[in-house]
Amino acid sequence: MQNLAIPATARTPAIDFDFGNNRLKLSGESYPEDVTEFYHPVFSALDAYLAALGPGSCRFDFELIYINSSSAKAVMMLMDKLDAAAAKGATVDVYWFYDEKDDTMQELGEEFGEDLENIQFHLEKTPD
Amino acid sequence: MSHDDLFAGEKGVIATGEQLVADNSFSSPEDKQHYEELLKSYEKLFRVTRRLMRLSDQNEQRLNAAAEVIAQKNKELEALSTKLSKYLSPQIYNSIFTGAQSVEIASRRKKLTIFFSDVVSFTETTDKLESEELTNLLNHYLTEMSRIALEFGATIDKYIGDAIMAFFGDPESKGVKEDAIACVRMAIAMLRRMRELRSEWRELGAERPFQLRIGINTGYCTVGNFGSADRMDYTIIGNMVNLSARLQSHAEVDGILMGHETYSLVKDVVATDEQTPIKVKGFAEPIRCYKVLGLYDDFVREGQLIREEQEGFKFMLDLQKRDKQEAITTLEAILARLRE
Repeated sequence: MQNLAIPATARTPAIDFDFGNNRLKLSGESYPEDVTEFYHPVFSALDAYLAALGPGSCRFDFELIYINSSSAKAVMMLMDKLDAAAAKGATVDVYWFYDEKDDTMQELGEEFGEDLENIQFHLEKTPD
Repeated sequence: MSHDDLFAGEKGVIATGEQLVADNSFSSPEDKQHYEELLKSYEKLFRVTRRLMRLSDQNEQRLNAAAEVIAQKNKELEALSTKLSKYLSPQIYNSIFTGAQSVEIASRRKKLTIFFSDVVSFTETTDKLESEELTNLLNHYLTEMSRIALEFGATIDKYIGDAIMAFFGDPESKGVKEDAIACVRMAIAMLRRMRELRSEWRELGAERPFQLRIGINTGYCTVGNFGSADRMDYTIIGNMVNLSARLQSHAEVDGILMGHETYSLVKDVVATDEQTPIKVKGFAEPIRCYKVLGLYDDFVREGQLIREEQEGFKFMLDLQKRDKQEAITTLEAILARLRE
């Protein structure tokens, strides 16, 4: 399966889906003008990958600095997809990295983690 | 009101739902299962809503904090630019700030009307003054003259001690003719104001109040930014600039002397008296020059001049030069010819 790599812009995060090594990453800031347009290919690639993953294992890193409300909803949808794959037998580790001075991203990570039933969720500080 | 209070209604719905599940008040296990799924979905939606609302509020706070920082920085920049603007002519300042003019070493040829004024015997006049008195007097004089210059749309190039160098035609121009007329009008207004100021200064104890010499000339100059990339001046250079300064030095005390090009542009508006041509270094031929006597409009208003101009008809009678009775006799002779 072809990897997905989208470089970051001022308003959109970097997407680095290395499907061959089962390492997926989303990092940077996210406040696109059109959230649906930006995240649509990301969802599609993840759906295809997870459908083929079966009982395999993967790791997804979130390393976000700033997200707007629409992007937060998109992130929750990504996590739901990962959680659903884990419910079907995949081993999924999600790492949520946040700046140690950023209470907003820490709280958000904590709450996202609470929603996940089948995933191994890891909340990690990134040093300044 | 806290977020919890805001969501009291939703919390009540969830509590009621949970109680229904606990009481097992369903007609079939399928109904109970559907209800539990619905309740779970509602609970999740509730959490998401609360989360997004909080995120939105926090983002707004961040934005407001950033906006305050920007507003503060803007204030500082505004104060700084206001201070810096004092070192520039308002037209130059505005054209830079609106982006109409680029701040780079560049120049172009343009026809401008150049103005030079100088205080007669400034050193002797101010020699006996204390530094503070001299500063006050000079600043008062320059402030008054600059106010008039800006009122008429001049670009003040620089102050050279007591001398003022200004020009018309860049960065803003109303046309070469209008620029030249504005320049002469400005010079006349300055001399008028100087007469008022002299009586004020005398009352304040100045023994020899300032008197001016003014030179005006129109011609092609090189205008633009000169200097280095780190320090530049917006100014004009060229022979015509030097000539304006020379005209100023040949002007009478409290008088305006202008070159031929300016004269040809303003002669319909300004009364002049041609002077003996002057020899100027760098110019092969003697320079024709004209003393400004005043504005025709002013003379008409003061009853010194009768002027009538229509298509194909031009009449002007200078009552200071012509005897009234003689003029009437001449006009009657013209009328007689007209009636023939």
